[in-house]
Amino acid sequence: MASPLEGLRVVEMGQLIAIPAAMKMMADMGAQVIRLESCRRLESYRTDSLFQNDVTGDFWNKGANFYEQNRNKLGITLDLNHPTGLALLRQLISVSDIFAENFTPRVIKNFQLEYSDLQKLNPDIIMVSSTGYGFDGPWANFGATGPATEGASGLAYSTGYKNGPPVMSEIPYTDYTGAEHTIFAIMAALIHRQTTGDGQFIDVSQTETSTATIPEFLMDYSANKRVSPRNGNEDPSISPQGCYPCMGDDRWIVISITNDEEWASLCIELNNSELTSDTRFSTNEGRMKHKQDIDDLIGRETLQWDNQELMKVLQTAGVPAGAVLDGQELLFNEHLKSRNFYEIVPHHPTTGMPPLPYAGRPWQFSTTPQVEPKAAPIMGEHNKSIFIDLLGYDESILEEWESEGIIGYGPTSPISVRRPSLEEQVRQGRLQRFEPDFLSQVSKFHQDRP
Amino acid sequence: MASQALQGIKVLDLTHYIAGPYCTKLLADFGADVIKIERPTGDPARNMAPFYHDERNVDNSLIFFYLNTSKQGMTLDLKTPKGQEIFKKLVSECDAVVENYSPRVMPSLGFNFDSLKKINPSLVMISISNFGQTGPYRDYKATDIVEYALGGLMYIFGAYAREPLKHAYNQAQFKAGTNAASAALIALFHSRKTAQGQHVDLSIQESISTALRDVTSNFTYTGAVRRRQPNHSGDLTRLREVSDGYILPNPGMSAGLDWNKVVEFLESSSLDDDKFRTGTARLENAEELGSILDDLFSTKSKLDMFYAAHEQRFIYGVIDSPPEVLDNPQNQYRNRFVELEHPSGGLITFPGAPFKMSKTPWDGLKPPPRLGEHNKSVLSERLGYTDDTVKELISSGVI
Repeated sequence: MASPLEGLRVVEMGQLIAIPAAMKMMADMGAQVIRLESCRRLESYRTDSLFQNDVTGDFWNKGANFYEQNRNKLGITLDLNHPTGLALLRQLISVSDIFAENFTPRVIKNFQLEYSDLQKLNPDIIMVSSTGYGFDGPWANFGATGPATEGASGLAYSTGYKNGPPVMSEIPYTDYTGAEHTIFAIMAALIHRQTTGDGQFIDVSQTETSTATIPEFLMDYSANKRVSPRNGNEDPSISPQGCYPCMGDDRWIVISITNDEEWASLCIELNNSELTSDTRFSTNEGRMKHKQDIDDLIGRETLQWDNQELMKVLQTAGVPAGAVLDGQELLFNEHLKSRNFYEIVPHHPTTGMPPLPYAGRPWQFSTTPQVEPKAAPIMGEHNKSIFIDLLGYDESILEEWESEGIIGYGPTSPISVRRPSLEEQVRQGRLQRFEPDFLSQVSKFHQDRP
Repeated sequence: MASQALQGIKVLDLTHYIAGPYCTKLLADFGADVIKIERPTGDPARNMAPFYHDERNVDNSLIFFYLNTSKQGMTLDLKTPKGQEIFKKLVSECDAVVENYSPRVMPSLGFNFDSLKKINPSLVMISISNFGQTGPYRDYKATDIVEYALGGLMYIFGAYAREPLKHAYNQAQFKAGTNAASAALIALFHSRKTAQGQHVDLSIQESISTALRDVTSNFTYTGAVRRRQPNHSGDLTRLREVSDGYILPNPGMSAGLDWNKVVEFLESSSLDDDKFRTGTARLENAEELGSILDDLFSTKSKLDMFYAAHEQRFIYGVIDSPPEVLDNPQNQYRNRFVELEHPSGGLITFPGAPFKMSKTPWDGLKPPPRLGEHNKSVLSERLGYTDDTVKELISSGVI
């Protein structure tokens, strides 16, 4: 059965996560996504988190972050500062359904790639611009990182330990929030086009999409003039809820009690007489009042347990609990494994990289599945198939374009980021640990798949 | 009047709490015709704090309000034969069903996908659940924090030496709701072309695990397991306290950092020193650098510094509180917040369109339904029930 988005063509002028992650999902579901790259301005994700930390050779084809965001896409290189490069992009746009980009409006206007420009090439095209703060307005041209939009949206302000400063997630979290809403927005525009034949321009602000996900916080202020304090892992209306230490180095479990029945089961399983017998704790109201005492008692008990074992015991007793999984545990998690959540993706032979597992999608479709996974393109991998096979140029022109720097197969000035050794990073506290036999663990994981 | 993007799409909404309702809110706000079916006692989210003017009742939950705009509402007891009959009739004439019960519930009511498909072969059914419809954790219980833990986001979130942390509020639920809305439209895009329906199994845990950048690939690429980062005082991008709040400095990408530009921007002669000039030197003198930066930032004002930084194209960020988010000039310019009349009177202010569409604007927003508000109109207009039958259904407690 064909994948649901087969037949759609997307031109992506993306960088980092906000647009690339969204277009990856579209590619997974069958769209042909042609990703544009520059040899002069190398995408930083190509040079970061390299396979085996190997900075030699064509290291720009070995970056984890690049592979994470660009699966199943076709990759071309183009220098947009060269008139031919820009003309080729316009030609591609004229035969595509969607143009997706996440540069600042300043860049898009400089290249005359605004929606009104695109419509002259392709009247029904759908264009999406994803920016930090929106395509218009006083902050439109301010560049932004994930943490910056996490801050501007209001999300960071409410997150953090009690009496402490705001804390941000250690990934570009709001880039993903933007990406998730971008997929929805494009699909809404495609459905509208199915009905009417009309394309349109979609303006996504990563700050605004995140603001959409914290109504509790913002509406409590707008309606009640209340600003809730930062409260760590506590929930404003149920108790106990927290993250408790377990046996081992940096091992944790979360427990979240939503009613008296779950509380009773927790007390039985932890088998602590103080928790069971103290009548102050028998109602949620009482437990809200005495959170600290309860947390101390629970934490003393959980320390005696392995976190995954305790999770199983508690869940079997009907108590919401979860082991706090690290990256390795997540990859090898039995539940995700049974659902084939990680898919094994082969890499281009010139990279020398073995097939590796990558996170799949949050959804499984019963009838029209995702495409057979292909790794993100190495630089310029699909120059030939796009310019010759799709746009119909004569093959001899590729060399000419290459010599003029219009296209290429690697960065013009490759600079890799050299990181301290893994031992040093563990010493600095940047890593929890590293396991030298990771490749055999990963290959065993492939063999064990259901 | 401009049409809305999803006009004409009929959705039957069996969802409650947050993840499912956010999915169907997105569909409804962009024009789909969404009928929210509540159990006779109502969606439990009607009891979720905070409340409008702190007055607790079934129409006053602010989160319920936000999550259920633009929907029609009816009550239906799906455990009664009559309720099931009405549900099946609605299924036969809708495009999509969205539900977020625990995976045992729909089959136990006799409504697994295969049975609904018999009623409507082009039906798209979206099932949102904590851990998906299959697998050893299928029946595990979860709240947002459990999804953070088992999704892999929590372990790397927070202070190095403290317990892992989650975002405030209900991010995992909203993330899953957004993904579910996308999945629904992908499946609908296909069914509108081919008349072929399907079932989508959407997992909240996997919604978190999909969006972690390199957490597992750190391991598969190098064997490294990341942990919560130590807050090295000399880190140039560390959140810093300023006189009126917090700011996020960002001097540019580390490989291309020009220290002289940083010194010039911060106007500090004590930073103009070789012991801070290179990355290696800064790591060696991190403590000293950190205390200079702390002092320097503590006297600055957040917005002055933010605007000055952007003039130099340093991509600084601000940490804004609710009043600041509401007053922010960019949000004002873009009408980020909208107002609607609350059922009990008075205007309620909430986040408006999450993104902008040029041809199909986000308008015609309606307040959420009161419990059972559209019982009659759905039954008589959609299904052609007579007034007498409707009365009967009310008195027997089916609606």
